[in-house]
Parts: sequence; C-alpha cells; structure tokens
Amino acid sequence: MNFKKSMLLSALLAATALGGAAHAQDSEKPYRFVMVSHIGSNDPNMNWLTTSLKEFEEKYPNVKTEYISTNNYSVQEHVRLLEQAIATNPDGIAVPIVSSDAFEGPLRKAIDAGIPVVAFNIPDGRPEGERIPYLTYVGGDEYLTGKKLGEYALAKAEAGEIPKPTHVVCASHDSAHQGLKARCAGMKDAMEKAGAKLDELFIGAEPATARNTLQSFLQANPDTNYIFTVAGWSSPWAWGVANEMKLDPDVDDKGMTILTVDEGPVSIEGVKAGHVLATNSQGFWLQGYAPMEWLYWNKKFGYAPQSDILTGPIIINKDNADQWATQVRGVFGDKAYDEQNTW
Amino acid sequence: MKQLIQSQGFGAIVGVAVMLAVFTVIDFSGWWTVQTVSNVTQFTAILAFVAMGQALVIMTKEIDLSVGSVYGLAGVAFITMEPTLGVPGSLVLALIIAAFAGFLQAVAVVKGQLPSMIVTLGGLFAARGIIYVWTGGSVHNFSPAARSHPLTRLLGGELFGIDAAIFWLVAVGAILSLVLWATPFGNRLLATGGSRESAESRGVRTDRIKIAAFVLCSLLAGFAGILTLCNQPQTHVTLGENMELEAISAAVIGGCLLSGGRGSILGAILGALIVVSFRYELIALGAPSSWYITFVGVVLIVAVIFNQKLARFLGHSV
Repeated sequence: MNFKKSMLLSALLAATALGGAAHAQDSEKPYRFVMVSHIGSNDPNMNWLTTSLKEFEEKYPNVKTEYISTNNYSVQEHVRLLEQAIATNPDGIAVPIVSSDAFEGPLRKAIDAGIPVVAFNIPDGRPEGERIPYLTYVGGDEYLTGKKLGEYALAKAEAGEIPKPTHVVCASHDSAHQGLKARCAGMKDAMEKAGAKLDELFIGAEPATARNTLQSFLQANPDTNYIFTVAGWSSPWAWGVANEMKLDPDVDDKGMTILTVDEGPVSIEGVKAGHVLATNSQGFWLQGYAPMEWLYWNKKFGYAPQSDILTGPIIINKDNADQWATQVRGVFGDKAYDEQNTW
Repeated sequence: MKQLIQSQGFGAIVGVAVMLAVFTVIDFSGWWTVQTVSNVTQFTAILAFVAMGQALVIMTKEIDLSVGSVYGLAGVAFITMEPTLGVPGSLVLALIIAAFAGFLQAVAVVKGQLPSMIVTLGGLFAARGIIYVWTGGSVHNFSPAARSHPLTRLLGGELFGIDAAIFWLVAVGAILSLVLWATPFGNRLLATGGSRESAESRGVRTDRIKIAAFVLCSLLAGFAGILTLCNQPQTHVTLGENMELEAISAAVIGGCLLSGGRGSILGAILGALIVVSFRYELIALGAPSSWYITFVGVVLIVAVIFNQKLARFLGHSV
C-alpha cells in the first residue's frame, strides 16, 4: 500500500471513529459553539456558513451552534458582538480576524479563560509568534486569492485571449478590512511582475456612491484596463460603469477586463455570461463546518492542528462555471439562485 | 445684486463659484469634459433629491436621519414587487411605503413630542432591518422586460444624451421652490422652523406642517431610490447606506441652518453638487478615495460658519 493510500485510509478511519464517537456520545455533555461572523444577512455567502452549521448539528446532536453577524462592515460593531459572545461563556468561538489590533484584546481574554478559538475566513496576518494564539485558521488565503486570479489573468493575456494589463484598479467596499487589502496586495504583486500598475480604490458599499467613485477614477485614469472587485456583488456595478463609459467590459481581447471573487450566483453568472473573466472559491462550506469540527475535537479529545487549513482559492472560469453553478444551486436553491443573479 | 446676496442659497452659489474656479485652475482638462460633467450631474441629481427633502425638514427645525434607509427601502420595494405588480404598480407601492415611513416618524415626533434625531435614528435602523429581512441578504434582479418598460425608461433613461434624472430634478426642484416661496404652505413651513410659538400664535398648524415636511422628505428619498434603480438596476441591500449624512451635509452646505427657518431648494441642489464634485476631483487628483469623507467634513464646517455669518450680516438671528 503506497503512502497516499495509507494516509487516505487512516483519515477515513479517523473520521469514521470520530463520527461514531460523536453519535455514541449524544447523551454526553452538550457543547455550544458560536460563530461571530462579518458575513451578515446582507451577504448571500452567509448561506454557505449557516447551511454547514446546520449539517454539523445534524452530525453532532450534542453540539449547539450559533451564528451571529454584523451587517454594516464595521469593525467596531464586530468587536462589540464578539465581546457579547465571549460574555456568554461559550465552549468555543469561530471568528474572522477582520482586524488583528481590534480583536487581539477580546480574543486573548477568551483564550486565557479557556475558550478555544478558531479563526475562519480571515487569519491574523502577522508572523506566527505575534499573532493571536488561536487553535488554527480555516479558510482561504486572501493574498493568494488576489495573486492566483492575477496570475490566471496574465496567462490568458499571454495567450492573447484578453488585453495585457496596463493599469489595474482594485475596488474595495471596506477600507479597514485586512482580508480585502490582502486580496488587492496579491493582485498587485502578480500585476507588477507583468509591469502593470495597481491602485486600490475605496468605493464604499452603497451602489450609487460606488459607481460614482469608480466612474470618477476611470475618467481620471483612462489607461486603466482591469477592474478587480473584491466582492462578487460589486462586479455588476463595475461592469455597468465600464459599459456606460463604452469601455467594452465583456471578456474579449480588447477594452476592459473584470475580475471578481466568491462563488455566489452573481460571480458565477458573471463568468458564464462573459462579463467577468474569472472568480474564485475559497471553500465557504468548509469554512463553516471545519472550524466547528476542530472546536469539537479540541474540547472532546484535546486535538489541535499544527498548521493552518487552507480551503482555497480555486479559480472559477468559463470552463468550470457550469459545474459550480450546479453546486451553488444546491446550496441556495434554484429560486434564490436565479433571484440573486443581478446581471 | 442685493436680492441675490439676500437669497438663502447665496452661500451655496458662492461655494459653487469658488469650487468651479479652483477646479478649473488645477484640473481644467479633466474637469471640463462631457464625461466628467455628465458623471457629476447624474449623481448630483440623485443626492439632490434626498437633500431637497432633508432641507425641507431642517427648515422646520427638525432632522431626518432615516432618508438613506428609506431611499433603500423604496428601491428594494420597487425592484422586489415588480414581478407581482408590474413597473407602475411597484412604483406606486414603493412611494406609498416611503410616504408611510415619513408619516409614522412625523407622528412620533409631533404627537409624541420626541426629538426627531432619535425617532429618525430608529427609523434608519428599522428600515434597514426590514430591507435585510425582506430580501434575505440579496436584492432580486430587475427583469429585462421591466428594464425596457416605458416608465423605467422615462425615469432612468436619457433624453438628448442627458440623464432623465436631471430633467426630473429640474422639474421637481422648480415646483418645490415655487411651493416654498410662493404659497402659504411654504411661508408656514419657514415660520414653523423660524419661531414655532410665533407661527402658532398666528394660527399656523405647525404639527401638520412638520408632518407634511417629513412625508415630503421620505417621498423624495424614495423617488431618488427608484430613479437610481431605473438608471442602473444592478443593486444591493446596502442601497442608500450612509446617504443620510451626505444629504444632511448637502442641505447644510447649501445654506440650511439647523436652527430652522432658513434654507432653500436651490441651495440643497448646489450643496449636493459640491459634495459630488469634491468626490470626483479628489479621486481625479489621485488622493485616496477615503479622504473624501475628511474633505466633506471640512467643507461642512466652513459652510456652517459662512452661512451663519452671512445670516447675521443680513440681520437674521441665528
């Protein structure tokens, strides 16, 4: 038996044993894990996380999961929610480290009090010795998201399928969000290697204001030929502005090229319609399920992973968009999927 | 000339003149292009609708912090109900919802004797919450048939290459100015804000005037939301977020005094023009776009000082 097969078998056995143990201990001490998220009901990606928590609860009936979130992209509001969650003394917390500075105090206090913490979606970006001592990080790598998407675009440009980048604008709706900044930084590093310039632009989350801001930027910087929107839902705004300015924003070998993120209906349908070159998946479902499992295993058996657990990025392009659409329809449902396609 | 100086939008006229002169000097080729003017005026029109309503409320010595959320709620109602009611039906329903939001808040302020800042802050959160619950986090799409409906084109299309919103702004702005300066209602509205006791002693039903101002304010905000969606139906639940702050800034920059009784529709429109123009020019000059908020703050403070000094110079007590 080769190494890969034996690893796979071991993992399978471990999962079966742990799953069985979980079922056998239904009547044992109940646990309560809280996910304090920045992905609120204003973001369709919340469905991935809430669905995965529901499935986790079905597998581990003695665990109660709670999902609480902010809706207004405010770090202060998020910290307030986190402090409220800690005050309820849960058995574990999963939280995105939207701001290391702002989250450090409350999270260190929670960890000192014996509450295990798993970071999800956004890690503490500082070196290992300096970062908040959470159990592990489960999620995509925001920097790699930008970098891989940039490298994918450069490969397509090299092949002559899209224009070569000259000036890229990274349009962000939250100027304090470290994850979004990391996405822009990844894209910047990829693009600068190819000699293209990248500017980060704070467009805000309000549609009309965002369009106005982006339009102003494009008018003042006519050499811009790539727009990278760091949220899937803002990609139609970017396309709309470029289209109104007659910049030929559809995917072809001329005009403007648009890249976005996320595996939501808007992003995938944008790729399928030829409006967006590519988007990415960061394994959202896993980002809900895996932190809960690690919190459970940590509480129950004392297990602690020794490295971060990366769930993405995976590039979604016109070749695999249909397959992703089928998968996402399974999570959102056909009606919601179609309604959320705002193209 | 004396009449111009005494007009309540004089501060804003000076502000716009100074702003245009400065932008012309520092960025002539970038500022005076068809695209720039079109971009700035299009978004000015949207903000100006919200600012005009805000100005009416401020003139009555109240404030409405809920306009951004009402703008969003009306927009979401318009786009969500369209498959059931059609474009005209959903438009009417969206305006009714906006007017009702204004009416409810006005009644709480007037009959409940509550501070408008608190009531409308509650309205801001309540309306935004309704948007989240109603949409489940994602605003529905606007069907191709709805996008090409004549009413949608009338509100969001173009005429002679100019956005319809600008024509609507000119028409509604002219009507409101006329109402404010040439009708008993306008006179009573300014009197209510200027000195409520004095107005009441002369038989003015100040409670009714305030209710009318709040309803008008919400209606204008709702109409602005609908105009935005008719022009660009790609939207999100954040529609109108923080717009109340820009609208209040525009109204105050345009000459409205928070002490009530003073302000103008033209001033609110010019205030909106200043706010939007600053955003464009800062980005054009390469400043980080987040600097815009700082500049709006500075302009706001300068405008308040200028408008107060101007009012005192003209013999008004502020």
